[in-house]
Amino acid sequence: MSNNNQKKRNFQIEAFRHRVVVDPKYAEKTWKILEHAIHEIYNHNASGLSFEELYRNAYNMVLYKFGEKLYLGLMETMTRHLVEISKSIEAAQGGLFLEELNRKWNDHNKALQMIRDILMYMDRTYIPSTHKTPVHELGLNLWRDNIIHSEKIQTRLLNTLLELVYRERTGEVINRGLMRNIIKMLMDLGSSVYEEDFEKPFLAISAEFYKGEAQKFIECCDCGEYLKKAERRLNEEMERVTHYLDAKSETKITNVVEKEMIANHMQRLVNMENSGLVNMLLDDRYEDLGRMYNLFRRVSNGLSSIREVMTSHLRETGKQLVIDPEKLKDPVDFVQRLLDEKDKYDNIISSAFNNDKTFQNALNSSFEYFINLNPRSPEFISLFVDDKLRKGLKGVSEEDIESILDKVMMLFRYLQEKDVFEKYYKQHLAKRLLSGKTVSDDAERSLIVKLKTECGYQFTSKLEGMFTDMKTSQDTMQDFYAHHPELGDTRTLVVQVLTTGSWPTQPGVTCNLPAEMSALCEKFRSHYLGTHTGRRLSWQTNMGTADIKTVFGKGQKHELNVSTYQMCVLMLFNNADRLTYKEIEQATGIPAPDLKRCLQSLACVKGKNVLRKEPMSKDIGEDDAFFVNDKFSSKFYKVKIGTVVAQKESEPEKQETRQRVEEDRKPQIEAAIVRIMKSRRVLDHNNIITEVTKQLQSRFLANPTEIKKRIESLIERDFLERDNVDRKLYRYLA
Amino acid sequence: MKKEDTVKLISAEGFEFVIDKEAAMVSQTIRNMLTSPGSFAETEHGEVTFPEISTTILEKICQYFYWSLQYSRGKETDFHIEPELTLELMMAANYLHT
Repeated sequence: MSNNNQKKRNFQIEAFRHRVVVDPKYAEKTWKILEHAIHEIYNHNASGLSFEELYRNAYNMVLYKFGEKLYLGLMETMTRHLVEISKSIEAAQGGLFLEELNRKWNDHNKALQMIRDILMYMDRTYIPSTHKTPVHELGLNLWRDNIIHSEKIQTRLLNTLLELVYRERTGEVINRGLMRNIIKMLMDLGSSVYEEDFEKPFLAISAEFYKGEAQKFIECCDCGEYLKKAERRLNEEMERVTHYLDAKSETKITNVVEKEMIANHMQRLVNMENSGLVNMLLDDRYEDLGRMYNLFRRVSNGLSSIREVMTSHLRETGKQLVIDPEKLKDPVDFVQRLLDEKDKYDNIISSAFNNDKTFQNALNSSFEYFINLNPRSPEFISLFVDDKLRKGLKGVSEEDIESILDKVMMLFRYLQEKDVFEKYYKQHLAKRLLSGKTVSDDAERSLIVKLKTECGYQFTSKLEGMFTDMKTSQDTMQDFYAHHPELGDTRTLVVQVLTTGSWPTQPGVTCNLPAEMSALCEKFRSHYLGTHTGRRLSWQTNMGTADIKTVFGKGQKHELNVSTYQMCVLMLFNNADRLTYKEIEQATGIPAPDLKRCLQSLACVKGKNVLRKEPMSKDIGEDDAFFVNDKFSSKFYKVKIGTVVAQKESEPEKQETRQRVEEDRKPQIEAAIVRIMKSRRVLDHNNIITEVTKQLQSRFLANPTEIKKRIESLIERDFLERDNVDRKLYRYLA
Repeated sequence: MKKEDTVKLISAEGFEFVIDKEAAMVSQTIRNMLTSPGSFAETEHGEVTFPEISTTILEKICQYFYWSLQYSRGKETDFHIEPELTLELMMAANYLHT
C-alpha cells in the first residue's frame, strides 16, 4: 500500500505464518501445477486455469526460496515447446513457411505474456535479486536461439526475405503485411538480431542488385531517363522502409542506392553526350535539372560536379557571347543577350537548383569572368541604358522600368572597370539631357540612385551635377528673356550653362556661328556675366541643336531639326548656291572629322538629303562641292536630320576615351596610396599594391605597373621615401 | 453499474465484494489477472477468489482501492489502519502488488 511503501521496503517479508512448509514434496508438487499450466497455455487451453491459483503458487514458490527451481523449470519447459514449434515451422512448405513462422511467433508471444503475468512475482523479486534475465526477455532469447538461429531456419528465413524483396523490386506484389510482421519480430528480438540476420545481408545484396542495374541503365538510357529511374528506385526503397523495415535502415539503404546509382556514375551522367547537364541547360529542362540537383545533392561532391560543369559551360558560352565579332555589331542586342542569359540561369537556379547560394555565386563569378573579357562591355552597357532611356521605355510601366534598370545594375556590378562605364554613361547622359531625348526623368534619377547605392556618392556626384545644371539653366533662360522683352515670346536661343568638370566637355572646340546667332549669343553672355561675376563662358558648339525653317527651290517648306554644326553649314547656303568642302571648312571652322560627319548626314542619307553633292558618293572628299537639294521632299513637315546619335565609338574615339580613363585613374591611385600610407606609415611594395587594388576594386581594376609609377611619382614629389636599408619599404613623409 | 465494469472479489470465507474494475486494478496483480491475453477463468467469470485473504482484510483492501483512486485524483486524506491488521494487510499488499 502506497503509504506503507517505505516501511515495506525495509521489512523482510516473511511467509504466511499459518502456511509454514513441512511437506518436502511441496516444491515438486507446486511446480507440476505450474508446468501443467504452461503446457495448457501453449496448447491454447488456458480458459480453465485460475490465474489466482497459478499466481499464488508461483508466489509461494518464490517466497519459500524455490525461485531457482521455478526459473530453471520455466526455461526447460519453454525450450521444450520451442523445439517442437521449430519442427513444425521447418515442416512448412514453400510459401507457407513465413506464415507458419508468423503464426507461431504470435502464439509464442501471447503465451509468453500470460506466463509472465502469472510469474510476475518472480519477475518482481527473485529475478532482480539474482540478476537473471526477466521472463519476457528470456522468452525472446529462447525464441531466437531455438527458432531463428536454428540450423534449418536461419538461412531459409534470410533467403526467403531477400527473395521477396527481390521479387518486389522486379515488379511483383508481395504480402507486405506478413513481411512487416516478420521484420518486426526480428526487431523485437533485439537490434543486433535485425542487423545481423537481415539488414547486413539485405544491404549487401541490394548493393549488388543496384550495381548491375546501374550498369545496365547507363549503357542504354540517356541522362534524363537514367535519373528518372534512379529517383524512382530511391523512392521505392524509402517506401519499402516505411512499409516493412526499421526506420533506421532508411539512410543505410538510400546510401547504397545513392552510391551505386549516382556516386559511381556521376561524372559519366553529368558529361553524357547529347543528354548530359550541358544539354539540359541548353534546353531549359527544369524538371531534369531539378532531379539531377536533388539526386546529386545526396552524394558527396555531387553538387560540386554539377557546379563545375555548369560554370565551365557558362564561361564558354559567355565568352562566345562577348567576343564573337558578329555579336558585337549591335550593343543593345549584345547587352540584351547578356540579360537573357542571366535570366535563363536565374530561372534555372531558382526553379531547379533550389536557389542554391553556391550556384548563384558560381553564376556571378562566371558572368564577372566573361563580361570583363570584352573591354567594350562598360560602353555597351551604357549604350543599352541610353537606348532604353531614349526610346525603349515608352509605354512601359514603372515596375518594368525598375526591373530593367535593376537587371542592368546587376551587369554593372560584374564590371571591373566601373570608371569606364561612368565615363561613357556621362557622355550618353549628357547627350540625352542636351537633346532633351530622355523619356523619363524618374527613370534617369532612379538609375542614378542605384549607382549611388552601389558605388557611393563620389561616383554619381557629377552625374547629379548635370541634372542640377539643367534645372538652373531653365531658370537662367527665364531670367534672360524677362530682361530682354525686345526678343519677344519665341525663344530663338536656349542656352544650357554647364559646369566645367561635371560634363564631358571638350575645351577649345568651337566654330564660327552665323552672324545672326553670334549677336544673340553675345547678348546672353553679357546678361549672364552681369548676374554671375567671376565666371567664364565658352560655347560648346558641338553639343547643341537647332530647328531651322527652310524653303526649298520648289517651294517646299520644312522645319529641319539639326545640330549646331549642321545649322552653321546650312546657313551658309542662304548666301550661296554652291560651296566646296574647303569653303565650308573655312567659313565655319568646324573640326574636320565633325564636319565630314555633319556633311555626310546632310548629303548622303537617303530621304534626308537636304544637300546634294558632286560627285555623288557615300563618303565626303576634300574636293567635293555641295548644293541645296531643290528636289528635297518629305511627307513630314518636321524633318529630323540624323545628328550624331549615341553610337558605338569608332576606333580612335575609343582610344581617346581609354586614354582619358587612364588619366583619370592616376589621381585616384595616388589618393589611395596616400590614404593607405598615412595610416600605415611604413609598408612594403607588395602590400601597397594589394591594398590599393582592394580600395579601388569598386571602381576599377588597378594595374600594378601603373601603381608602381604612381608611387615613383609620389616619391619625386616628397610624399613618400624609400627606406634606406630595405629598398622595398616605403615611408610616408608627413 | 454494468456487469463488465465490475469485478467480484471473494474472500477465504466466501464473502463476496463487488467493486469497480477500475478500483480493483489499483492492484497490479488483479490488473494482470483481468488483462492477461489468454482467457483465464477469472477474466471469463469476472470474479477472483482469494483463499488466503480473510474477509476483514479483503474489506480493508477494497476500502483502500477506493481511497487510493481518490488520492491519485488529488483528494489527499489519511487512510486509517487498525494496528492489529497491519501485518496481515502488508502481506496481502505484497501479494497483490499494491
